[in-house]
Amino acid sequence: MDHLIEVKNLKKYFQTPRGELHAVDNVTLDIERGKTIGIVGESGCGKSTLGKTLMRLHDATAGQILYNDVDIAAMPMKEFKKNYRSNIQMIFQDPYASLDPRMSVLQLVEEPIKVNNKKMSKADVTAKAKEMMELVGLATRLESSYPHELDGGRRQRIGIARALSLDPDFIVCDEPVSALDVSIQAQILNLLQDLQQERGLTYMFITHDMSVVKHISDDIAVMYLGQVIEKCPAHEIFTNTIHPYSQALLSAIPIPNVHVKKERMVLKGELTSPINPKKCCRFAERCPYATDQCRAEEPVLRELKPNHMAACHYAEQFVK
Amino acid sequence: MSENILKVKDLVIHYETDEEVVEAVNNISFEIKKGEVLGIVGETGAGKTTTALGIMGLLPDKVGHVIQGSIELEGENLFDKSEREMRKVRGKKISMIFQDPMTALNPVKTVGEQISEVILLHDQCSKAEALLRAQKMLAMVGIVPERYKDYPHQFSGGMKQRIVIAIALACEPELLIADEPTTALDVTIQAQILDMMRSLQQKQGTSMILITHDLGVVAEMCDHCAVMYAGELVEYGTVEEVFDNPQHPYTKALYQSIPSLDKDVERLHVVPGAVTDPSKLPSYCSFADRCTEKCELCEKGDPECTEVNAEHWVKCFTYQQKKEGK
Repeated sequence: MDHLIEVKNLKKYFQTPRGELHAVDNVTLDIERGKTIGIVGESGCGKSTLGKTLMRLHDATAGQILYNDVDIAAMPMKEFKKNYRSNIQMIFQDPYASLDPRMSVLQLVEEPIKVNNKKMSKADVTAKAKEMMELVGLATRLESSYPHELDGGRRQRIGIARALSLDPDFIVCDEPVSALDVSIQAQILNLLQDLQQERGLTYMFITHDMSVVKHISDDIAVMYLGQVIEKCPAHEIFTNTIHPYSQALLSAIPIPNVHVKKERMVLKGELTSPINPKKCCRFAERCPYATDQCRAEEPVLRELKPNHMAACHYAEQFVK
Repeated sequence: MSENILKVKDLVIHYETDEEVVEAVNNISFEIKKGEVLGIVGETGAGKTTTALGIMGLLPDKVGHVIQGSIELEGENLFDKSEREMRKVRGKKISMIFQDPMTALNPVKTVGEQISEVILLHDQCSKAEALLRAQKMLAMVGIVPERYKDYPHQFSGGMKQRIVIAIALACEPELLIADEPTTALDVTIQAQILDMMRSLQQKQGTSMILITHDLGVVAEMCDHCAVMYAGELVEYGTVEEVFDNPQHPYTKALYQSIPSLDKDVERLHVVPGAVTDPSKLPSYCSFADRCTEKCELCEKGDPECTEVNAEHWVKCFTYQQKKEGK
């Protein structure tokens, strides 16, 4: 298989006054070229940190990030910025906070082009920026508008135009639609899909919305407290959910259908602390199936079916 | 005379600033029976929260104006009441749960104080008694009562929302308005909170208005459902009717634009254009500019309510014509 990115045993720990916070703990993932991997999980599970570490907005504590077989986690920042930054781009969650309120739309789209192509002439930069605006469906009449004059959907389009303006191969989409209304969300999801087909982009799509992730992803990785606990092709997670946490996550989604009455698996308690985690299954405290083994031993992510991996001591009993 | 607890009639609310007039709520009418749960769905700027604030009498001073209409709670018009009388209604008869539990609580007071504050205000009792009731409320929403001495920052998001709910329910209100109560929470926590709200609602027989943009939450929690667009109710009916037999083009578009968990769709259906700007509403049907089922009447006037059946109506010319044509 053709992997654009291979993440190997990636760790990102933060030092806090109360101890070491394991935000991303031993994550191993392959991302196929031209495909979308969906990362799902609840707030605090480390999905954004994972995305930012791939972008080198955080420095990894340990582990490798292979981009086209080159380890970008260990290389000096200068080299990374020069050769790789423009290939790996990010779309941020909140289009209200990620855009400079004092820059016009055109200036916002021009900015990354200018920064990364210092020798480009002014006219070329503007031409490229306008091309990008057209690509993401921003009308030219909006070029001198400011972000506050636009609605959330248009603002998110600016974010997308900025990311695309450097012709990246890989885009980390960090909750790009969660701040948007459903009718606008559909527009942006369609746009992202069209762009992927046109330009052969690879996406890492971070979200907490299972229905969105199912719609857009080829593969799904479920994260819990810094670890990937299940990874499989997108449809599999719905037809054969293996990890108890994934099961709970799926059963918690309210379905917009009055005739479906779901057996709900309501979890007790909340996320345990990611600071100095114990060597045990991190989900054990909330898991309805937990045994002494779960509280004593940390399960590893293992392949249970072709392409379907899960980290649970009792995974076999959930395999269909 | 009737079992209607709340009756909103021809309500119009405008926000007036120096530059513009925002027509936030345009002529909406609805009723809620005792023990019923009404879901109001719609996108940002549809006027859902303004409707709720209007009922609570909490519209922003000077800017928010009720232009016409009445809101009757158990037969009494709330607009006839003085601010002083309203204070007795708020918290005692109608309570509201706000969207963001992080900002709804006072950071420098313990949660016990904050719950007993409502009780002391409305019910004649001693401080000790109020604190005892506060602890009972905490237990009811699933928090260890001993934690009444803790401050909001010592709780997680889901627990803060439970505390907000405890405050809202402390005086056993007749009507609870929940404005996006779970939007800021994770799905597994949302499931806990919804479960709890449902069982409390059934136990106390509280009527409820649930404002949300999540159709899944409505399907799970509500008896009736009202769809709001640009300050108007465009469709109203029992949840079964509105979900299985939607008639307004906006309602239909709303369903089609959410990715489904059990069906595979290549491309999502898109509602063309953006939400109509409530400061520049057209004189005709406000959805007409985005509507895919437009007819010649749509840009001429405002549609009236047309009955689909006894418990379901819709405001749409296209449907009206279809019905009359038959």
